[in-house]
Amino acid sequence: MKYQLRHTTRYRYSSAVTLSQNEARLLPRNLDWQRCTQTRLTITPAPQRQHERRDFFGNRVAYFAIQDIHDTLEVTAHSLVTTEARPVPEGDACTTRWEAAVEQLTPQSQVSESNDADSQEARLFTLDSPFVHHSLELKQFALESFTAQRPLLEAILDFNQRIFTDFQYDPGFSTLATPVAEVLQQKKGVCQDFAHLAIGALRSIGLPARYVSGYLETLPPPGQQKLVGADASHAWLSVFMPGWGWLDIDPTNGSLPDERYLTLGWGRDYGDVTPLKGVMNGGGAHELQVEVDVTAVT
Amino acid sequence: MPSPTLTHSLSESLLAHYQQRRNEPNDTYDDLVNAAGKVRSRWQPLIEEFNELGLDGFQQMALEAQNLLYENGVTFNAYEDDVRKMRSWQLDPIPYVITPQSWDILEAGLQQRARLLERLVADLYGERRVIRDGILPAELVFSHPGWLFAAADNSSDADRPQVLFQGMDVMRDHHGQWRVLGDWTQASSGVGYALENRVVLARALSRLYRDAPLHRLAGFLQNFHRCLAELARPNRDAPNIVLLTPGPGSPGYFEHAWLANYMNFSLVEGSDLVVRDGRVAMRTLGGLKTVDVIVRQITDPWCDPLELRGDSLLGVPGLMQAARRGEVAIANGLGVGVLEHPALAAFLPALCRHLLGEPLKLAGRPLLWCGLPQARDAVLGDLTPWRIRDVRDAERVIQPEHMDDAELEQLRQTMTDAPHFFVAEQPLISATSPSYDQQNNSILPKPVCLRFFALADPGDDANSTQRHRIMPGGLAWVAEPGTAPMDSQTVKDIWVLSPVVQPHVSLLQRAQSSLLVTRDGSDLPSRVAENLFWIGRYGERLDNRSRLVRESMVCLVEQGQWQLNDTLLPDLFTALKLPLPSDVNPYQEPETEDPAGAIRQFSALRSALLDVARTEGDIPWLFHSLLHNGRAVRDHLGDDAWRTLNTLRQRVHTLPTLQGASAAQHSLEEIITLVAAVFGLCNETMPHHFGWRFMDIGRITERCIASVELLKLSMIHAQNPGPELWERVLSATDNLTVYRRRYRSQLYPTAILDLLLFDETNPRSIGYMLGRLQRQIEQLPHPENTPFRPREIRLIIQANSHLHLVDLDSLSDLEQSADARQALETLLNDVVAPLYALTEAISNSYFSHAEQPKQLVTVQGNG
Repeated sequence: MKYQLRHTTRYRYSSAVTLSQNEARLLPRNLDWQRCTQTRLTITPAPQRQHERRDFFGNRVAYFAIQDIHDTLEVTAHSLVTTEARPVPEGDACTTRWEAAVEQLTPQSQVSESNDADSQEARLFTLDSPFVHHSLELKQFALESFTAQRPLLEAILDFNQRIFTDFQYDPGFSTLATPVAEVLQQKKGVCQDFAHLAIGALRSIGLPARYVSGYLETLPPPGQQKLVGADASHAWLSVFMPGWGWLDIDPTNGSLPDERYLTLGWGRDYGDVTPLKGVMNGGGAHELQVEVDVTAVT
Repeated sequence: MPSPTLTHSLSESLLAHYQQRRNEPNDTYDDLVNAAGKVRSRWQPLIEEFNELGLDGFQQMALEAQNLLYENGVTFNAYEDDVRKMRSWQLDPIPYVITPQSWDILEAGLQQRARLLERLVADLYGERRVIRDGILPAELVFSHPGWLFAAADNSSDADRPQVLFQGMDVMRDHHGQWRVLGDWTQASSGVGYALENRVVLARALSRLYRDAPLHRLAGFLQNFHRCLAELARPNRDAPNIVLLTPGPGSPGYFEHAWLANYMNFSLVEGSDLVVRDGRVAMRTLGGLKTVDVIVRQITDPWCDPLELRGDSLLGVPGLMQAARRGEVAIANGLGVGVLEHPALAAFLPALCRHLLGEPLKLAGRPLLWCGLPQARDAVLGDLTPWRIRDVRDAERVIQPEHMDDAELEQLRQTMTDAPHFFVAEQPLISATSPSYDQQNNSILPKPVCLRFFALADPGDDANSTQRHRIMPGGLAWVAEPGTAPMDSQTVKDIWVLSPVVQPHVSLLQRAQSSLLVTRDGSDLPSRVAENLFWIGRYGERLDNRSRLVRESMVCLVEQGQWQLNDTLLPDLFTALKLPLPSDVNPYQEPETEDPAGAIRQFSALRSALLDVARTEGDIPWLFHSLLHNGRAVRDHLGDDAWRTLNTLRQRVHTLPTLQGASAAQHSLEEIITLVAAVFGLCNETMPHHFGWRFMDIGRITERCIASVELLKLSMIHAQNPGPELWERVLSATDNLTVYRRRYRSQLYPTAILDLLLFDETNPRSIGYMLGRLQRQIEQLPHPENTPFRPREIRLIIQANSHLHLVDLDSLSDLEQSADARQALETLLNDVVAPLYALTEAISNSYFSHAEQPKQLVTVQGNG
């Protein structure tokens, strides 16, 4: 599939900003199944400094500094993204008992030949991160799907499906600060909450899980025109299967991401992939407006 | 070999206690005596000297060292504002002595360790081979608070964090083996103290110090300075090096100021710096000045609110990006804090073989990292023999042996939940070393902790294994292994003996590289200008208040002879803005009628004047405001001024405890003298440039306002006006002598007004002070290309012209004429109003009140 992607973020400040420095993670990364061309970042007012780099996780980060006095900031990312079918997990990694997978990821005192480099690095994603802490409740929640001796892939898929069926999608419920425990208790939230919840639960039983930010093409109701700017960012997660690699799952929709999913980047949790963050002098209160378009190109 | 007679005489006198302690059954290694009870040969030269000194000599020397430390304000205490909690170390006159042979081993081991850590941090923030290859567990690295994901940039041209300078904690265990207990890579403290101890001990033990064949320290800091300058890429000839401190509230602040001063860096706080045009710049009076090198003393996560902790008020937004682009050099690089991980010790032997291909030379601390299942099970099986550390709060030691069952269960639970955060250490037994115990006046065997310092010197040959320089000396403190220096009572100098006699070199020896001559000027940080201004204001207010309280004490002595309302005390209390105590009776009979009542009255008034808590405006409060500002610009005040401030602190502290009026009067006079001494020393030693001008403007503004208010009170509003009050006013403004010389003992209001208001030759007159203010303000840097006078200049001209244009005749006959008093009041109000506005005008023009940067993160996307 081929998509034209537009993501606009607009800030309006109640008083003038004299200096602002920002980091944008709005440029989609290239993957085996995803190619990005014609990527450009348009910033108004024009920044005095702008540099791009790759962060620890390999995401594209644009740093920019605005030194002119301003009271609005508009950042728009455009990309043409081509997606292909993703690899499907196969082999022993799927059928291995999930406990064995966890065992394989436990630190050893001796250098172990069986531990490949990817597994060693993946263990980072079993640790707590600023927004996601493991807990006994989360562990018990995960264990309902990860029953004794269950094959790894089967357990993951069941877990993904369970969140989709048992939890209610409720855009009014969530704020950035909604703790995972509350999401678990209230059984409602939005995509970030479900991603954080699933990540916390998987980490609580010892499986590495990471947060993926991106977009999902949405289709208008039959017979209606698609509205401009009506799409939204989306978030899901990825779980590590030793011996195979990272598998994306989307508990918000109970599905496995396919060609309709556009990946922006990933990290330990939302904090690592915040689309736009900054530090400024001045500014007072602010208003935020976000518009996203994911338009299929034929 | 020690001569038998010498050893004999020592054991009889100096070392009697020492041997006794040693004789208690133990086989612990002792520095001074060997297993056979003989004094080790390295102590020979020292012992002879000590023997000559005798214990009394020691006592004297210890006291002298103590005084020197105290006078220099050496303290490791962040909360010294609270005088009662203030303490400084005792400096042991007996140094910690290391032989050339031992030093060779130790130095090579520390060099290797520094080299290993350098390789390790480069790998961790680069390829991370040690993690991929399974040498170092991922959990250990990535869960440490000092690990910065932002520093592990994936770009190939990024600057990797490097360690230029680090501290290493070392001990000698009870077998006599050296062990390294930990590394300090982020804000390693101690080098300033080490030098200060050396300076003090060299004064106290001057003969021995000069003759001893010991390595000197000055060269090390010179090399440190050179290495820092070499980091400055675009501007290597005259780099602008700053020392970034968390501020006067941090425990290491004394040392930050000391280092900045000694090494000639600007001492800056986060708010003094800003990232503009990609570069780091310092806010100064003359605008932004580019910074080339930052010696940072702020721990990793707090350095940049953009990329690291968003709630940091200490850091500089955009700092990481500037460092990443190589626009500024930071020593040590951001991210090296992960090397302070206490569990690394368990992996260093393997890492050393892996990264350097050689065995680790110096043993570390025996410990287990609980992230490994086997280790965790072993530790949780029986917690009691272990000392536990949580890497998130690594300086705190948890001692299971002192815990009850409930606490143990709680600890076990926490450790089971997140074992990778925990490290279990075996307690270590330290060797003993001779230490002079001041309390018991004897020399006793004590455990000693040592801190050494390593410098990565790129030098001429980058491949040399000698790349790391180890300072031949360091900081030692008497304590059990693992105790922080600030928790110790006693510090020691470390003497590394050299095989040949080393020439004595001054610490301020001739620099090898050429120096660009600089003068303080418009590159003065705005914050420093502000602190200096407030030093002036608070110092002068302290002086003024002390004088008024002193005058009140004089009246207090006499108050028993009259009814209170007939004395000057009500007016003086008004001048001090103090209410009369509620329990005093203005119509209390004189003491001849009611002696007990008079005594009660006396002590109530005395308390109101002296026994003041630190409420705003009182003497202790004023002093601490002065000190607070002084400490923030420690590097701009001379040592003598600083010493005087320390003495002043003692006087202020004891003031409330003084019972008698004359003792208080005496003490207040000392305070007045000491305040004058502080400013006198500043006047004599500070370059008469912008910084000094701000201090002077602060002082004179304050004095001018105080004089006007006092005149207003005494000439217009006083309850008991008249010659006596005028005399107190003349005395409070230190004009009594001048007046007497001119007018003898007769007090005329007109003459007083002339002296205090108009006489521009009298430095205490308003006329003189306004003139001085105007001259000082005109000399400040002003924006060019503007046809308008800045507000602060307009204000001072306004005050001056009111004074100059007054109709003198309208002021005559003050005592009789209400019109004259009205005219005087109008004049004084007109003069003082612009002065009240002056502070704000100067503040707006010169002091950076840039709004604190704030973080903007908003949740986006809710798919």
